[in-house]
Amino acid sequence: MKWVTWEQVGVDRMACAWLITKYIDRDAEFLFVPAGQKPLPEGAEPFDIPGVRLSHHRGHCTFHTMLREYDLRDPVLERIARVVDEADTVQDVMLEPAATGLDVICQGMRLVSPDDQVALNRGRLVYDALYAQFASEPTRV
Amino acid sequence: MEQPQGTSWVLLVYRVPREPTSSRATVWRKLKRLGALLLHDAVWVLPATPWTREQFQWLAVEIGELEGEAYLWESRLLLNGQEDALVRQFQARVDAAYQEILDGLEQDDADLVALSRKYQQVRAQDYFHSEVGLQVRERLMSARGGT
Repeated sequence: MKWVTWEQVGVDRMACAWLITKYIDRDAEFLFVPAGQKPLPEGAEPFDIPGVRLSHHRGHCTFHTMLREYDLRDPVLERIARVVDEADTVQDVMLEPAATGLDVICQGMRLVSPDDQVALNRGRLVYDALYAQFASEPTRV
Repeated sequence: MEQPQGTSWVLLVYRVPREPTSSRATVWRKLKRLGALLLHDAVWVLPATPWTREQFQWLAVEIGELEGEAYLWESRLLLNGQEDALVRQFQARVDAAYQEILDGLEQDDADLVALSRKYQQVRAQDYFHSEVGLQVRERLMSARGGT
């Protein structure tokens, strides 16, 4: 299935792409359009674009929305959602010190990658690493 | 951030229902946190960057979810000198916040944890790279000790 999002992927879109490929659609194919471009390509599920189903809701990031929409229940994923929330949205309460660093790393990942597709591919390792580390720690969600 | 000629600005005008009051507070806190400036009690302004653009878009969507209504523009100032004046307003507010940190650092029992956290918050709103921010940074570094 095809998925579409805005170009210049960052922390939330990398997290979503990782989640999609790993838990929702193993053969996911990603398309990228310039920010603000309308209409969106037909036949592709849009994500992390303001106004679409899979985007920020109630102040939470798109990754958080995707866990709800696809009914993914996993305390480790919940914690990653909180990290991405703190990295990508305006929050008063910050509980995850990893958030700021993750945001910077994901931005830098795009800078060292020739295009968005490569950035998403490389970002997977970051989220695999985050998942593995959180999974190895005692759960405190 | 490059500024002098031709900074683009993102402008937000919104309303949310009076009740519940928590909706108004949520939006207000986010605008404050973004460091947006309220002009004449009417329009919220931020310099346009990919980040501020995106944050304002998300906020506009959230306002809709709170049963409110939001309009969002990107624009340029047309009159000479107004841009500098606007930039100065942003700087004045950030400088004042930095000054509070400097004052806090003068105290004998300065809470370095709280002050360095506050510094990070102010820095996130420092869109025009205040000189006072550099002073704060140096003072915090030396307060940390070591070399």
